[in-house]
Amino acid sequence: MNDDRTIGDTGRQPSVEERALRREELTAITFVEIVDTLVDDFDVIEVLTVLTARTVELLAASAAGILLADEHGHLRVMAASSEKIQLLELFQLQNDEGPCLDSYRTGTVVAHPTLGPDSPWPRFAAESVASGYPSVCAIPMRFKERVLGCLNLFISRPVALPPTDVALAQALADVASIAVVQDQATRLAAVREGNLQHALTSRISIEQAKGMVAEYARVDMDQAFARLRQFARNHNRGLTEVAQSLATGELVIESVAGPRRPRTVPPGPAS
Amino acid sequence: MPVSGERSIRLAVAFARGMSRTPATGWCGVGVEFLVVSGVGITVMGGGAAGPLCVSDPSVAILEDAQFTVGEGPCPEAFLSGVPVSAASFGQETARRWPSFAPLAVANGMGAVFAYPLASAGANVGVLSVYQRSAGSLTDGQHADCLTLVEVITETMLSLQDTAPPGELARELDDAVAYRAEVYQASGIVAVQLGVPAAEALLRMRAHAFAADQTLDAVASAIVDRRLRLDEPAPGVPPPGFPPLGFPAPGFPTPGFPTPDGGGRS
Repeated sequence: MNDDRTIGDTGRQPSVEERALRREELTAITFVEIVDTLVDDFDVIEVLTVLTARTVELLAASAAGILLADEHGHLRVMAASSEKIQLLELFQLQNDEGPCLDSYRTGTVVAHPTLGPDSPWPRFAAESVASGYPSVCAIPMRFKERVLGCLNLFISRPVALPPTDVALAQALADVASIAVVQDQATRLAAVREGNLQHALTSRISIEQAKGMVAEYARVDMDQAFARLRQFARNHNRGLTEVAQSLATGELVIESVAGPRRPRTVPPGPAS
Repeated sequence: MPVSGERSIRLAVAFARGMSRTPATGWCGVGVEFLVVSGVGITVMGGGAAGPLCVSDPSVAILEDAQFTVGEGPCPEAFLSGVPVSAASFGQETARRWPSFAPLAVANGMGAVFAYPLASAGANVGVLSVYQRSAGSLTDGQHADCLTLVEVITETMLSLQDTAPPGELARELDDAVAYRAEVYQASGIVAVQLGVPAAEALLRMRAHAFAADQTLDAVASAIVDRRLRLDEPAPGVPPPGFPPLGFPAPGFPTPGFPTPDGGGRS
């Protein structure tokens, strides 16, 4: 049997009241800890890892993991309370079958306290029992209507998680969901800002390149633009990329503008 | 930023409706109407570049251009700091803070200026400038409304850009560059003439505009029309040695206002 829990190792058996009090305290500390990490530049993996660690401390579970669906709907392990290979394999397996996949698909809690040959997921059940986890529970991670993934709990005895534990696990999963959604929003914002910046500077570089070609070949802006487009087409390159290469000097102006033409009207009284 | 209060939500909806019927160049007019202020300017910024998407009237255009020319003022300051910048009146403090912008604002009849970064969920894409002809702070309601508009404008700009072909600027945002197309074309011309990078050419043009007391646009126009070359002395330009001023704001994307010898003489 694997039992990775870290509390309750005091030697003396604590009383029921002591345990309840300790758990209440730990729960409060955990939520404060998680909320604290959600300020500003938080690392979502770090938050989820702390969450899985606290989950096994607080609940009657031996191991916990968080699986999130990627853009293709594949479940990926984002954090786990332990790096044991068997545990990670159990997470992986669930892209084919298992409580997490069912929980992700249905958005509901999926539990099975007595895994065996006649469980709904024969392959997963066999692996889980062999790894020392005869009971499993998957809590959906939801944000509004979206299901993001699941909090997966493994129990080292063939018993169901008590309802209070399930409720607490759902609360932890909800906090994790907020962290995940916030992180996704920040990432998306950075990508969109980058796209706009890139488009803005690209657009500007084209105007600059027009000016460079116009001056070099002594043509007007329309002709300069035509030469830029012609070069880009002939060499199968993007207009922006040609313009930026001109600006950096990677591309010599002559290759785009043609030979340099001297000024036709020299300044000064000589003209 | 939180959208608080029914009023701000109503305003956001009304503004979004107004924007959907108006090309981006008209957003500033919609802004003036909804904020009940004297003037509004919206600038797209990023990657060291800036372009005005719209201005509500000619005096706002002058002030927004001036900030672009010298790289100093509430607009670059708000963008770089990421927090709103305000001057409820113009006096000694603003004269020290913005030695070039503040007198020009007063000369154009402005009594107060407020600049809000166009930022949402960590994306920072420009600045909303709000001008008042009389001195005084914005009311709490106006401030809340400005924050609401920031959300709406930022999201609209990003959404427009989302629909653009990869790498291209959304057509609706193109005015931000098209308006200063000549400035960028001129910087390309000067880059070839002086054999310097385009960014440095732009700095030389700024120095020349400042020294000759012209707008950057006027200098750019003269360069594109081949009436002016920065590698030759031009008539009417004061000799090098204009007063050293404490700008641009530290860390502005176009760093280091050029030394006086950048004034167009070689």
